[in-house]
Amino acid sequence: MSAAAQSPGAAARALRALPPLLLLGLLAALPFFDLGANQIKVLFLTFVSIGASVGWNILGGFAGQVSFGFAVFYGLGAYTTAVGINQGLSPYLTYPLAGAVAAVASLLVGLPTFRLRGPYFAIATIGVSEATRVIMTNLEFTGGASGYRITEHVPFRQGEHYYTGLILAACAVVVSIAVRQSRFGLGLRAIRDDQDAAADSGVNPYTYKLAAHALAAALTGAAGGVYARYAAFIDPEGVFGFPRSVGILLMPVIGGVNTIWGPVIGGGVYGVIEEELVARFPQIHLLLYGVLVMLIILFEPGGVVGLLQRLRRLVTRSKVA
Amino acid sequence: MTAVDFLNLLIAALLLAGTYAAMAVGMTVIYGVMKIVNLAHAGFLMLGAYFVYELHERAGLHPLLGVLLAFPAFYFLGVVVHWTLGRGVPVSDTPTLASLLLMFGLWLVLQNVGYLVWGTDDRAILTPMTFATIRFGEITIPKIGLVVFVSAIVSLAALEFVLHKTWFGRSIRALIQNRYSCRIVGIHVERTARMTFGLGIAFAGAAGGLLALLYPFSPDFGRPFLLRSFVIIVLGGLESFSGVFVGALILALVETFSILAVPSSYQPAISFSLLVVALIVLPGGVAGFASRMRSRRAG
Repeated sequence: MSAAAQSPGAAARALRALPPLLLLGLLAALPFFDLGANQIKVLFLTFVSIGASVGWNILGGFAGQVSFGFAVFYGLGAYTTAVGINQGLSPYLTYPLAGAVAAVASLLVGLPTFRLRGPYFAIATIGVSEATRVIMTNLEFTGGASGYRITEHVPFRQGEHYYTGLILAACAVVVSIAVRQSRFGLGLRAIRDDQDAAADSGVNPYTYKLAAHALAAALTGAAGGVYARYAAFIDPEGVFGFPRSVGILLMPVIGGVNTIWGPVIGGGVYGVIEEELVARFPQIHLLLYGVLVMLIILFEPGGVVGLLQRLRRLVTRSKVA
Repeated sequence: MTAVDFLNLLIAALLLAGTYAAMAVGMTVIYGVMKIVNLAHAGFLMLGAYFVYELHERAGLHPLLGVLLAFPAFYFLGVVVHWTLGRGVPVSDTPTLASLLLMFGLWLVLQNVGYLVWGTDDRAILTPMTFATIRFGEITIPKIGLVVFVSAIVSLAALEFVLHKTWFGRSIRALIQNRYSCRIVGIHVERTARMTFGLGIAFAGAAGGLLALLYPFSPDFGRPFLLRSFVIIVLGGLESFSGVFVGALILALVETFSILAVPSSYQPAISFSLLVVALIVLPGGVAGFASRMRSRRAG
């Protein structure tokens, strides 16, 4: 009896897990087809973006705490990996390390700012990213403003980077799903909806926000690390710069905040836009992003996912009628 | 450090504080009434700078006259912006994700329109005042700093007058205290919010013009000042007008005197450090601290 009651649920769950797994399989198989090096590069960068975007959404979407300073974690991750590789560490060891460094940094930001409610956190994040960029620009140890080069004594294999990126993105999505379905994720959603009510029901907003921030920072830091090894050269303006923070925030907003697949879609859209736009109109891509954010907030706060849901409702309604 | 050096720094800090107060007050008004953290403040500061610059370069208008003209021009601009984005910026009790992102988008748009129109080069407004100084014995006061300070103080005095002596000002202060009671006593909340937004933007534009007299500027001009405005209003307790003055004074003093201890390349990190210290030591800002002390004494 209970097995019979469970089986449709299990089947439905398996059915819902199918498209993402198919997509993953397809992406894993892609390098075996004859893709140009440039297409692989765009896909790789998109995977890295998705890693950061999904990370941001855990804090900004699930917990509703907007941060304008995720470049800090991206940059710290990038520099951690870069220094680690140059010190002779295995690259695959440096990614978790990059995540850990970013998570510790997130605590430093969150400890003072999450104690207060209101806009303090969002405000402080702008300051943190500015301060970190300034410090990294002046840090002699990593070459300051002139950047830092990674020297690896192994041949460059694009496929390896591609799969690292793919695994990173997949891990981020898995973490995001796990958070969403856990008690922890439920607590975050409660904080987002009503912090007082959440606190009354036994959710400590302070520790929950700190934990979400750390998790988000770890994913973003790992993404920065994966990017750094591919780029082989990083500089403060590139990885810590304000446009980087803007990009990480923009992806989940485009795709749809507070959803599992919104940040993934947003990362994909952003990757393509970035590739097409920045090359053609380097001056106005931030302008277009600004217009895009405003249009999304004014007309479809749910982003692409919200738009799709609206379309689906339209289709089903017309079918009924 | 000699007494003269100290006095010179102190005067520089005081002059700076006046300008900073004018810069941050627009943000306080908007936050107080609408609970919107106006990230686009940076964009309007920048536009104000170019507004005064263009009037000066093209029409030969005196920069101070340009600053004066910036008040009505940016008031109108602010009202138009609020009217256009009205549905996205509802009056609310707490800052919403939507309003934060909307203002952020607006900032990106303004900044990059700035890049399109004026390019990336630094500009400066140069007048005969720019390098002139006034001397009192060994103490030198930059003339431009003094002029900007006086203009800032005059505009703040005008604001105080509006806030306390006009019905518009009274309804602003009432809205900051309690929005629901305002409806009961017949204040048109939406219209007051729109006018308040205009007022905040007017001050942003004029302050941008004043700052442009002191520093060279580019389309990214507003960002460091955005952060400074935040620090000031956080120190001041977000919604308090007198808090803005105290916050501006603290920031100006710390920035000016930190030159003695901190290498200049690290200067941009100072305002953030001050913000963190303020958040840890003085949650609720100076105003909150003062009211806590008062209640402790009363209790």
